Amino acid sequence: MSTVLTIEDVRNLRTGAHFLACTIDPTAIYVYAEMIERAMEDRSLELITVDELAPDDLVVAVGMVTQGLFIADMPPVGDEFLGCIRAIEANLGRSVRAIYSLAAANINGIVPLMVGLQSSLPVIDSDPMGRVFPLISQTTLNVGNVAIGPIALMGVTGERAVVEVENPQRAETLVRALVTELGGWAATAMYPCSAQQLKEHGVHGSISRMIRIGQILDASTPVKRKLLLLTELLGATRIARARVSHIESLSRPADLGLPAQPSSLTLDDETTGRIIRLEIQNEILLVLVDGAITAAVPDMVTLLNSEHGTVVNIDDVQVGDVMDIVKIKAAEQWYTEAGLDLTEPKAFGIPIGHPRRRHA
Amino acid sequence: MRVGLRLQGTSCRTVVLDGRSVVSAATEVHAGSLSEALDSSLSGLRREFGSAITELTADVGRVLGERKLADVVAIRISPRPPADAFHATVLPPLVEPAVTRTVHVAGGHDLRGRPLARLDLEGFLADLPGILSTDVRNVAITAVGSTASKDHETRIADATLSNDRDMRISISSDFYSSVFRNRDYTAILNSALMETGEELAAMLEEAGRRQFPDALLSFAKNDGGRAPLSRLALAPVHGLRAEPAMGILGAATLAGIPEGEVILCMESGATVGHTRGGLPAARSLIRQGFGAGLASNAAILEPYTVHHPVRTDIPSVIADLREWQETALPFGLVPTLPAAQDAALVGSAAAPLTAWIDRLETVSGRADLQRVQNLAVEDAHSAAVQLGASPGQTQIIESNVYAMPYGNPGIVRIRVQAAGETSANEEHVLPIAARGATP
Repeated sequence: MSTVLTIEDVRNLRTGAHFLACTIDPTAIYVYAEMIERAMEDRSLELITVDELAPDDLVVAVGMVTQGLFIADMPPVGDEFLGCIRAIEANLGRSVRAIYSLAAANINGIVPLMVGLQSSLPVIDSDPMGRVFPLISQTTLNVGNVAIGPIALMGVTGERAVVEVENPQRAETLVRALVTELGGWAATAMYPCSAQQLKEHGVHGSISRMIRIGQILDASTPVKRKLLLLTELLGATRIARARVSHIESLSRPADLGLPAQPSSLTLDDETTGRIIRLEIQNEILLVLVDGAITAAVPDMVTLLNSEHGTVVNIDDVQVGDVMDIVKIKAAEQWYTEAGLDLTEPKAFGIPIGHPRRRHA
Repeated sequence: MRVGLRLQGTSCRTVVLDGRSVVSAATEVHAGSLSEALDSSLSGLRREFGSAITELTADVGRVLGERKLADVVAIRISPRPPADAFHATVLPPLVEPAVTRTVHVAGGHDLRGRPLARLDLEGFLADLPGILSTDVRNVAITAVGSTASKDHETRIADATLSNDRDMRISISSDFYSSVFRNRDYTAILNSALMETGEELAAMLEEAGRRQFPDALLSFAKNDGGRAPLSRLALAPVHGLRAEPAMGILGAATLAGIPEGEVILCMESGATVGHTRGGLPAARSLIRQGFGAGLASNAAILEPYTVHHPVRTDIPSVIADLREWQETALPFGLVPTLPAAQDAALVGSAAAPLTAWIDRLETVSGRADLQRVQNLAVEDAHSAAVQLGASPGQTQIIESNVYAMPYGNPGIVRIRVQAAGETSANEEHVLPIAARGATP
């Protein structure tokens, strides 16, 4: 059933997108939320389920791909995504009927709302990640053999490109190189597919889940109650409440194909005496408790301020801070053999298989 | 002996510190004007202490906050201007009215420092007579990617000054933030405060020189440190929120805890901060809700809640700063520091000279990272010495490297803080212990 989103929904989505982004600085999300609120003053925004579309309707993922300059340091001028959708339509000779998020967290969790307002296209409550991953090939659509191309890109300079590519790994290489030269990020439209393909291979309820998370976290309730509600909604578990004892950058060798440098956090659980180690590269990839794997990508791990129940930004973490480490199960598609091949720690250069693979 | 003073309205409040001891409790002088109040305060201190006063540090945050902001021309450099109103940079309501004109100039750099667009200097020079013909004397310049290259900002600044040397210019690369709107807001606010900063610096300089010709004059900063008065005219924004930092430092100084937790109880509620290495723990941005933040290193002071984790492994001080202390403190807190109302003034008197290096570096591996971090440490040390600190009494408080999420491989942010005392202060007020550097 379609829903007309309210400004309150956008504010809750802002918090939910931050929570699921696992500690990345949320400024770009805030900038977009502010733009969307202004645009909603005289326009309405429709959120639909994929079931409301005809099976062969053309739908396309919209999202930012970054490799360098922050979106918040070079905000879009506003015509980029519309240019990308037009380029896809011209390339395929068909009109796009609806758009969906490239990822269900961080900036890409909220971008489609602005694009929906600008284009008057409905936004589908689905995405191909169910969380955020750094690579455009790490999607459930890729697992389902849905073509990634053609991909339209447009940077802040106004320069644009259409990449006609089939192999998602080649697409990754080509797009990443283009994005670097376009200035550090590019607005993109990719995975043009039928509504039926998205229905079969996507992750559903992405936008509404972020809104619900925001409702929980933004409410004036104790942290304990928030954790309980998150457990009910997401199947989240608190791994530990622990104090940061050490922060380390460039803590592991990095594959140059992956954006960002790895870093690590070591924490002490003062109640149990356990030592917790977080391995980070854009997101938190791995949680070790006394050396044992307790969470591993594609599991989502995020940090909450233990006193205020707010999301912790990794940039603000200081030795001595106390935080709750929360684990959330990812979409079920990610725990299949093909899903783990794309997203388990090995895909990020950490020579460890996901524990679920051993039990599969 | 060191003096901490705070200016507000037409009053001046002072405290005198000798080591960690308050030798003259806070006194406040009200007069017909701020300069008269200052002069009267300093004159009284000279009569009482004479040349024993070696340093004076003024907290001017309240004056900066209460004065009307000067008008500013905002120059924004990016490859293309916003295509619609929704994508335009939005300033906080307090500052927005100060911007009388916004000028877009094509240009900007990527994170590698490579130009994204040729700087449209010719177009800017064509607009310049119109900018200079107005009464507005303050200009703020912000370029995309100026954390990686400040070239376009400085070329626009140079072009402006070449045509009018009296313009006050603030460029965003003087303030570290990877967010355009934070730098833009900070440069604009700084520019709007420069005239007041100049005026305060001149007033303090004149009164200080008259009463204490040999003393070092400084202003209190948001990070819990101080800087020479000359910097107040150039970067007043760093003195805008000094009082919370000075409160932390003052309470820690009175309690003698260079490493620990400081709980400040005020009429508005209880807050908590920490000292590390003898200074308040600081972050590089003053956040203001979901809007633009101020790119100034500032002490972290957060609301105290009933869920606050009690730590037994570090010393803690609870200071009751309320004017009226008849009622009990919230959360069952019991003050551990008697008569702490003037903790912020004590902090101003005790504040060391502080300098920050905050920049991006491209590294090829661990050894290279160590090299650029060592270089940043040396630069921070030099910056503190240039402010007047003695090389032998300057130490590194913080040295950190941050990975850049979704950034170019190999580009990291290096952030270093140095703090030092002048040779006149052989005995530190609050011992600065070098904080363990993070590799």
